[in-house]
Amino acid sequence: MARLRNIKRRMQMKVPVVRKQPTVDHVTGDKIPKSFVFSRGKLPGSLKQLELDFRKLMMPHTALRLKEKKRNNLKDFLDVAGPMGVTHFLLLSKPKSLPHLRVARTPHGPTLTFEIPEYALAADVARAQTRPRCPQGLFTKSPLIVLSGFGSGGQHLKLTTIMFQNIFPAIDIYTVKLSSCQRIVLLNYNSDTKLIDFRHYSIRLQPVGVTRRIRKFVHNHKVPDLRSLQDVSDFVTKAGYGSESEADEESAIVSLSTDLSRVNRAPTKSAIKLQEIGPRLTLKLVKIEEGLCSGGVIFSEYGQENSQTEATEDKKATTEGKNEANEETKDDDGEEDD
Amino acid sequence: MVGDLQIMEAGTEKMAKKGKFSKRSSKSNKKLKPLGGAVKKAKKPSKKMIKLFRKRARAYNSDEDEEETAPDAMQSLHEDSSDDGSEGYNGSDDEKEGDRYGTHRGITRFTEGCRAFRTAFLNIMKKNLQNDPLGPILSANRKLVAEKLAEEGIEQKAKAEAKKDKHLAAKTGHVTPASFLDTKEKLLISVATKGVVKLFNAVNKAQSSQNGLNPSNSKDAKALAKQRKATFLSDIKKSTERNLENAKVHHMNKANDDEPAWAPLRDSYMLTSSKLKDWDKMEVNSFHHCF
Repeated sequence: MARLRNIKRRMQMKVPVVRKQPTVDHVTGDKIPKSFVFSRGKLPGSLKQLELDFRKLMMPHTALRLKEKKRNNLKDFLDVAGPMGVTHFLLLSKPKSLPHLRVARTPHGPTLTFEIPEYALAADVARAQTRPRCPQGLFTKSPLIVLSGFGSGGQHLKLTTIMFQNIFPAIDIYTVKLSSCQRIVLLNYNSDTKLIDFRHYSIRLQPVGVTRRIRKFVHNHKVPDLRSLQDVSDFVTKAGYGSESEADEESAIVSLSTDLSRVNRAPTKSAIKLQEIGPRLTLKLVKIEEGLCSGGVIFSEYGQENSQTEATEDKKATTEGKNEANEETKDDDGEEDD
Repeated sequence: MVGDLQIMEAGTEKMAKKGKFSKRSSKSNKKLKPLGGAVKKAKKPSKKMIKLFRKRARAYNSDEDEEETAPDAMQSLHEDSSDDGSEGYNGSDDEKEGDRYGTHRGITRFTEGCRAFRTAFLNIMKKNLQNDPLGPILSANRKLVAEKLAEEGIEQKAKAEAKKDKHLAAKTGHVTPASFLDTKEKLLISVATKGVVKLFNAVNKAQSSQNGLNPSNSKDAKALAKQRKATFLSDIKKSTERNLENAKVHHMNKANDDEPAWAPLRDSYMLTSSKLKDWDKMEVNSFHHCF
């Protein structure tokens, strides 16, 4: 009997304490957007890795180790999303053609569907660099987002910008600490090719007007090698080699009002250096749906579901009158759909 | 005895393995002899037994069990008769000795059979094979085998191709960056840098005004709140003015369209979602960059 009781007690002890993440920013009082990144259907290995990269990118307000099962459907995730305060879904899928990324707002939509014609994983990007950078605490704060080139387009692009702006928590200029801005996500829309370049960089600040040697010395706390120098003053005055001539662009220089780190102090100026972390994506907006992966189609790139484009096609057909021309256009459409 | 047995089995082309087996069995038989029925038997084996031996000799098909039993029985026989007899029956050495004992015809036949098999086997082994890709095939239907092999090859090829295709399909879109910093990447970095600089400058500007004021201190916090309120109100005024202008333009458009005032009578009723009605008029409420 006593043993049984012990077991019971132990069982009670084991109940894990779930610490709830705050749903509201404690300084500004804004609602913090949270996200789930998961896949629909079976993904090949490289796309699985991309999914993990995306989760890391969406840190810290995401489920990094979200477990998916084959039988989980969208509704399951939606059911969990409500109580957890999850506001956005990022869904990766791999149909027979190109891999797709869907960005959806829960619980009612809208859903943006992107094709991914090209992608490179974070590991690929790091492998391409001579010195990949990943300082501690890089992923503890959510990234900034920069959207560029979206202003020129139509309504669908505006919706895209709003979607991506709201996927990360808003920044309050008055209270934000610049030292917490460590990453940036760039979305650059090219109106000619209609492709969106998706990049992920880490932000680094370097004091301006200091030689490389001294910068390294202050940063590393290592005893420098003075064998080649005649005097100690040479270490300070003598110009180094190579990369030092790489002048900091004036556009990338910021004058600081508060201390950022030990190296970047308040009255000095600092240059902003970006280094890519990855993943690197090229996106193409294909479709916008009203609901969560369902509902009416607001925008469609290929114009099958969109009534407006259909109407224009019909007009074309009537005006041209030639059967051959019609067939050609139809063929073109078919190729695009594939 | 044991040595003789081994020699005999050398004749059957299966020395290495079975020599050991027979050794063991013969030893065990020697122990069992006084108890077994072999003692009771007469010098000449009965007809029945001879029949049995012949049957066994005929059934000799390199089956281990039978092979063991047959020599065992013979041993018992020969030990009863004489030592010479035991030597005589190992036909592989000397056939004629075996013939001397007419009663052991079945056994000699058995050894003869062994020889026949041996010669046949050696004949086969002597044959020089042509260099055939299929290798040595004894069966007559060479063609059939060749066809089968060809079919298998085709199947395997198809399988390999399918696998390759699948692998390629999985890799569609996956591009490993060859050169890390090409012109396009540099351009993108410069765009991103611009954005960061803009943000940092704005933050510096906003926070320099509150320099010396600590938001955790209640007095300073109040002052800061006042400042923020003022700026917020001014921002709102700006935005409302803009909205008014927008509304005016909208109104003008509506008047031109001659649409009914009651919503359900309009053509666009229920076509546009109510949730998304104003998404294009929404102001960006936080600091984000669009350029």
